[in-house]
Amino acid sequence: MIIPGIIASRFTPQGDFESIATVSVGAGGSSSISFNSIPSTYQHLQLRWIGRTNRAGNASDTVTIALNSDSGANYSYHNLYGDGSAAGAGAGANTTIMYVGWVAGATALSNTFGVGVLDILDYANTNKYKTVRSLTGRENNGSGIVSIESNSWRSTSAVTSLTITSQFGGTYQQHSQFALYGIRG
Amino acid sequence: MPVTYKKIASVTVGAGGATNIEFTNIESTYTDLILLASLRTNHTTVGVGGRLTFNNSATGYSERLLYGTGSVAASANNSGAYIIWSVDGNGTGSTANTFSNVEIYIPNYAGSTNKLISSNLIVENNATAATIYANAGLWSNTAAITSIKITADNGSYIQHSTATLYGISKS
Amino acid sequence: MPATYENIATTTLTSNTTNVEFLNISQAFTDLVLVVSAKDSGTGTVNTNIRVGNGSFDTGSNYSYTFLGGSGSAASSGRSSNITSTLWGAIGTTNNTVAMLHFMNYSNTTTNKTILSRNSLPDQSSGQSVSAWALLWRSTSAINRIQLYPGGQQFASGSTFTLYGIKAA
Repeated sequence: MIIPGIIASRFTPQGDFESIATVSVGAGGSSSISFNSIPSTYQHLQLRWIGRTNRAGNASDTVTIALNSDSGANYSYHNLYGDGSAAGAGAGANTTIMYVGWVAGATALSNTFGVGVLDILDYANTNKYKTVRSLTGRENNGSGIVSIESNSWRSTSAVTSLTITSQFGGTYQQHSQFALYGIRG
Repeated sequence: MPVTYKKIASVTVGAGGATNIEFTNIESTYTDLILLASLRTNHTTVGVGGRLTFNNSATGYSERLLYGTGSVAASANNSGAYIIWSVDGNGTGSTANTFSNVEIYIPNYAGSTNKLISSNLIVENNATAATIYANAGLWSNTAAITSIKITADNGSYIQHSTATLYGISKS
Repeated sequence: MPATYENIATTTLTSNTTNVEFLNISQAFTDLVLVVSAKDSGTGTVNTNIRVGNGSFDTGSNYSYTFLGGSGSAASSGRSSNITSTLWGAIGTTNNTVAMLHFMNYSNTTTNKTILSRNSLPDQSSGQSVSAWALLWRSTSAINRIQLYPGGQQFASGSTFTLYGIKAA
């Protein structure tokens, strides 16, 4: 069947990388950002963000994520980072939240945000714990950091929600944005 | 107009385990490949290396690695019969039920130049010792990649290990 | 309506080239992903530069970067500030470098632009052979053009540069 060009152009093939939901922080700010009722129909999830909080007295803040509202000591993390002076690595076991990346804090340059790209593979698989990888950084024209972050959630439950907060209790500022994507398998 | 990001094939390891995970007869119609894998083996260490090869070739591989161990950041290089630092899996020495998280990007896989890979992988563990690898790999061979094989360096991949191959198309 | 992940433009060099540019970039997406497979036509490993802009390339001292790198023998980190272009990785002369640059929220007009870069050069040693970068362009203008150039060299014929857009819901 021949589809006229005007109609055909509306049917852009989507492929296997799809947008699920996006949260853009408004003028009032937000202490947390949530993605709920995440469908189990994809194989992998990707979260992409830009963010800034009002963490007082600091140009940096850390994005923290709880999966399925689990606040128990069921997480662990590792990182590989460069802070402009040295490369380093860190770790933490039995943590109560995931530490997944960077955003800007209150004393960062105006209008400057931290960013990240995070991947959860096999997020809906009920036979394995969830392993989370992210590439993230913030740059502040004289300070900054870039890192690869690793986190684990010790639960075989399918991931159905992400709750995003700040490690230091900061409020995400207007124009922060978190976008969730699904990758079909 | 082709879709840009398309699944080519997926492998899930069954109850019997698997020594190898393979993708064969890869079409040349895409521009780049992305391989996403979640791996665990039955070997006793925290992390277990995986041998990545193309077209069943055992020659011409080299790599340059940036890595973190949970306490140390370092770098290394290697050459040999396979890429060893791009497809690690968890071993039984790591936290139970924990699988690695692997991303490999292979640009111009069907072209006539030597083949490159850029990979990021993590082997998580509820302890200090774990692995973060950022790797640059080279297969010094101008043949188009038509098959990819992942082989556990020790032991075999256990049930629920997965690998999915995607094609990325430019218009 | 664009697909979520869509190819915008591709450049494959047919001769050695100093500048590679993407102009009039669609503003319909949320993020851009630039995939580079390139080497230089000169005699040594060089760092590569990027400028961006809206309508014209910003040549002011409005860029900065922080990187994490591995040479194959040592890990390191460095930064530079108030520069007229920013580095994003190293390229060599024998085999290509693979790089992926994420331009996050490139089309908004309220935030400065932060770019993540992940660079892989497997066969030549430099402090940034395997590296990750955070780049900053201190401008709230939307990015509608990108310029890449190797420092003092040219990109070799056959190098490819492919720009993708990712569209959030």
